[in-house]
Amino acid sequence: MTLTDRYVDAALRRLPARQRPDIERELRASIADAVDDRVESGTDPTAAEVAVLTELGDPQRLAAGYADRPLHLIGPALFLDYTRLLATLLATVLPAVAAIVALVRAMDDADAGSVVADAFSATFTAAIHIGFWTTLLFAFIERFPGQHWVIHTWTPDALPEPPSRRLKYTELVLETAATVLFSTLILLTPVVSTEKDANGDPIGLLSPWLWDTGVVYGFIALVVVALGFSFARYYGRWNVPIAIARGLATVACSILLIALAANDRILNPEFIAAAGWSDDANRWVYIGVIATSLGTLAHAVVEAAKQVRKG
Amino acid sequence: MPEDELLATHLQELRRGTVVLACLLILQRPNYGYALLDLLEKYGFAVDANTLYPLLRRLEKQGLLTSDWNTDESRPRKFYRTSADGTALAQTLSHDWDELDAAFRSLKGES
Repeated sequence: MTLTDRYVDAALRRLPARQRPDIERELRASIADAVDDRVESGTDPTAAEVAVLTELGDPQRLAAGYADRPLHLIGPALFLDYTRLLATLLATVLPAVAAIVALVRAMDDADAGSVVADAFSATFTAAIHIGFWTTLLFAFIERFPGQHWVIHTWTPDALPEPPSRRLKYTELVLETAATVLFSTLILLTPVVSTEKDANGDPIGLLSPWLWDTGVVYGFIALVVVALGFSFARYYGRWNVPIAIARGLATVACSILLIALAANDRILNPEFIAAAGWSDDANRWVYIGVIATSLGTLAHAVVEAAKQVRKG
Repeated sequence: MPEDELLATHLQELRRGTVVLACLLILQRPNYGYALLDLLEKYGFAVDANTLYPLLRRLEKQGLLTSDWNTDESRPRKFYRTSADGTALAQTLSHDWDELDAAFRSLKGES
């Protein structure tokens, strides 16, 4: 088998069977003509063959030319639609998946650690699936014969709204104040309390378990991170990664709260006993926490979707 | 991007499409792939073999070229020839080229 045979084989393998015989005949003739030309001007036949094939280049590229196949996965006509759809899916489906998995796991009475771990791994798997299938879909559309189906034409209506900076600044200030106040109150609960034990020491409102395991610090860190993303969004350029990260931080806070509430890990049983609260009061606090967290989750999903669409 | 690479990119952009017109004009007389490659080079239209050969088939598929296998010689060769449609397109493209040329001339104040 000569070098030319191997080259022709490699090129033909990528072509539809009915085109092969004709292209093979022509390609071989063209290669032979080029080699003869070089040999006539004094080149050694083997060297001439190598030079001619080198000039023809990668046989797969040649085959793509013959078959009129694109040499890219997703071309410029579809690229923007592709990235927009991908961003929208990631920003909406991921928080929803995280929330649903966390809820289901929390209802199974799993401990907070495994709720967070399961929610995280499900989100990761979902992200990979979304990335893979969206890319596959668009790569297929790119290769579909007669690709005249324009998904949509752009009009100025699609321009993002100018951000009203002032309004957003008020929001930012309120969010900062709320975060600081909320974190301070949480951190103060073990030392400032309406109830005292037999030694006169305060009984914290929140479960000591949160401090023993460090969960409370993790929670406050998440809240602060979410606030950090709000600042990034206000002062930096808004972009999809920031929106997704902010959404995830918010979602993580809510999930953690739901998991803690479902496992009866928020209120301190000693405080309830000392304050003489009924079991019902305890249950309503948990229902309230879960309802608020669900609301936050839904809001985060809607917000992310809105921003990605406008972005 | 190095300077000569930049130049090469601009030249390539400018010349894109001229090979089609050159092929349609040269192939008023039937000819085969390698000879056409040689002729184009002689006339000053630089084109790579791996661009030209698929291009010929694409033009044939679009009905701008017709082809026949010539088996008179020891090496059978596929001869392409510009079709009536191809001739019409060549006229339109030539006209466009002339207009562009005139536009450039007046732009440079030569008219």
